[in-house]
Amino acid sequence: MPALALAAAALIALALPIPLQVAGYSYFVTVAFLVILNAMLGVGWNVIGGWAGQFDFGPNVFFAVGAYVAALLAVHLALSPWLGLVAGVGAAVVICAVLTWPITQLRGHYFAIATVAIWMIAQPIGATWELINGSRGLFLPLRPATGPLDAVVSLRFPGRSKALAFYYVILVLFAVTLVLLRMVDRSKLGFYFRAIRDDQEGAEGIGIDSRLYKVIARSITAAVFAAAGVVYAFWALAVFPEQVLDLNWSTFPMMATVVGGIGSLWGPVVGAVLLIPISQLMGATLGAGPLAGRGIDLVVYGVIIMLVAALRPNGLLSLPWRAWGRRLVGRRR
Amino acid sequence: MTLVLQAVVNGLEMGLVYALVAVGLAIIWGLMEMINFAHGELLMLGMFGAWWFSTTLHLDPLLAIPPVALVMFGVGRLIYTLLMRRVQRGETFAQIFATIGLFFFLQNSAVAAFTSDYRFVEGGLLSRLSGINLHLAGLSVGLPLLIAGALALVLFLALYLLVERTEFGLALQATSEDREAAMLVGIRPQRMFAVAWGLGAALVAVAGAILANFFAAYPQVGFPFTVLAYAIVALGGFGSILGTLLAALLVGVVQSVTVVYLPPAFKDAFVFASYLLIGLLRPQGLFGKF
Repeated sequence: MPALALAAAALIALALPIPLQVAGYSYFVTVAFLVILNAMLGVGWNVIGGWAGQFDFGPNVFFAVGAYVAALLAVHLALSPWLGLVAGVGAAVVICAVLTWPITQLRGHYFAIATVAIWMIAQPIGATWELINGSRGLFLPLRPATGPLDAVVSLRFPGRSKALAFYYVILVLFAVTLVLLRMVDRSKLGFYFRAIRDDQEGAEGIGIDSRLYKVIARSITAAVFAAAGVVYAFWALAVFPEQVLDLNWSTFPMMATVVGGIGSLWGPVVGAVLLIPISQLMGATLGAGPLAGRGIDLVVYGVIIMLVAALRPNGLLSLPWRAWGRRLVGRRR
Repeated sequence: MTLVLQAVVNGLEMGLVYALVAVGLAIIWGLMEMINFAHGELLMLGMFGAWWFSTTLHLDPLLAIPPVALVMFGVGRLIYTLLMRRVQRGETFAQIFATIGLFFFLQNSAVAAFTSDYRFVEGGLLSRLSGINLHLAGLSVGLPLLIAGALALVLFLALYLLVERTEFGLALQATSEDREAAMLVGIRPQRMFAVAWGLGAALVAVAGAILANFFAAYPQVGFPFTVLAYAIVALGGFGSILGTLLAALLVGVVQSVTVVYLPPAFKDAFVFASYLLIGLLRPQGLFGKF
C-alpha cells in the first residue's frame, strides 16, 4: 500500500469516531469497533488461509480460548485484562499447536473438515464444562474504575465513553498486529508459508518442514484470534459458549479476506471496511419493516461472495487500481 | 447391555437416512472432486419443500419426494452452470468460497421467505405411525424410522446401480478419472458435472423431505448435516459409494451409543473425534479403494 494511502487511512481510523461520539452517535462508534475487530481477525486468518494456503474453518475456537482464559483469570484472580491477554494468547498458541500438529498430515478439503471437526467437538465441551460455567456463561466482575489510569488498566470505561474507548483499544491491538504480521510477511517465515502454499512437495524438497510451518502459521492465526477474543469478552462483559464459538467469528473474517484480497496483508482490512457496515446499515434502513431481521444483509453477503469467487477470486485489491488511477490522471491532463 | 443394543438398532435406522444425506456429497465431492459447503442448505430446501407440500396442498409429505427431487435436480444443475463451472478450474479456495457464498445466500433467503421459526410436518403417514414399535428379541424398532430407512436404502441402492452398473455411471466415473480422456471418447464433461450436481442436490433434498417427518424444518438446520456428511464421505473413503453407506451406519451408531453415556450435546463430538482419528490413521477412509 502506498505510504500516502496508508497515512490517510490511519488518519481516518484515528479521527473518524470522535465527531460521531461528540454528535452522540455512539452506535456508529460500535460499528467501527466491529469493523476493526473483524479486520484484525481477517488479517489473522490470512496467515493460515492466505499465506500458508491451508483452509482453516475453525479459528473461532481460539477466539473462545482467549475470551475464556482472560475471563477466568479476571473472575477468580481479579487479574487485569492485559495480563489476561498475554495468558489468553499463550494458551491459544499452545492449544493450537497441540491440536494442529496431528491434522497437518491432512491436506486441502480434509484439513478444512478437520478444523470444522475440532470446532464441533469444542461446542459441547463449552456448553457443559463446569469450570467455565457451561452454557450459563461467565460474567465478568463489575466494579467502577477508580480513575483514568485504572480504567485503561482494567478496561472498565464508564457509560458513554465505553464505545469510544474500546474502539481505540482494538485499534491499538490491530495496529500492533499489522506491524508484527508485516514483519512476518517479509521474513523467511512468510517466504516458507508461501512456498508451502504454492508447492508443498517443492518446499519440502528444499528442506522446509511443511508440517512445522503449517503449525506455526495456524498458531499465529490463533494468537490474533485469542487477542481479539480477550477484548471482546471485556467489551461484552460476559462469555457464553454459543456466542464466542459462533460460526460467524470464522466466516466473517474469511469473507472479508476473500472480498478484499486473499494473501495480501491489506486485503482483509479492505474487505472488513466494505462488508461489516453493510449489515449495520441494512439493520438501520430496514428498521421495523416486514423484512427487518430476516437476514437480508446476509443474502447480500452471499451474493457478493459468490460474485467475487466466480469473477475475481483474488479479491478487490487484485484489480488494476494503479493502472486505472494513472488513466484517470492522464485524462485530466 | 440391552440399552446399548437398543441404541445400536436406533443408530442403524438413523444411519440409513444419513446415508442418503451423504451420498449426494459422495457424488459431488467424492466422485467429481468438487467441494460444496452448501450441501446441508440443499437438505434444508428439501425439508421446506416437504413442509410446504403438506401444509399448503394437504398431502402426505412422503408424496413430496418426486416433485422435490425433480425441482432440486434442476436447482443442482443451475448451481453448477451458473456458479461452480466458473470456479471449477481455478484454485480450491475459490470453490470453497463460492459455496460458502451459496450457503449464506440459501440459508438467509430461507430466513427471508419463511422466518427462522421451527416448522413441523404434521398429519403425514409417518407421524401417524409414531409410537408404533416392532418388537424383536427384546428390542423395539420404531416403525416410522424403519420405513424412512427402508426408503432411503432403496434410493441409495438405485443410485449405486446407476453409478456402478450403467453406461451413464461409467461416463460419470470416467469424467472423474480423467477429464481430457473422457472428452476424447465423446463424453461431454460439463454435462456430466451438471448432472452430478443435479443428482447430488436431488438426493440430499429427498433425504431432507424424509427427515422433515422427524425433525423441525428451519433455515439453520443444514450446517450440522453438511459437516456430518463430510465426515461420512471421508470416513467411507473417497468415491466409494458402498463405503458411504457403511460409514453412515457407523456414524448413526456412534451418535446413539454416545447418547447412552453422555449428555446429548456430545452426540456429534464423538462422530468428529472418530473422523479425526480415522483421518489420521487411515487417510484413505475405512473402505477407500486406494
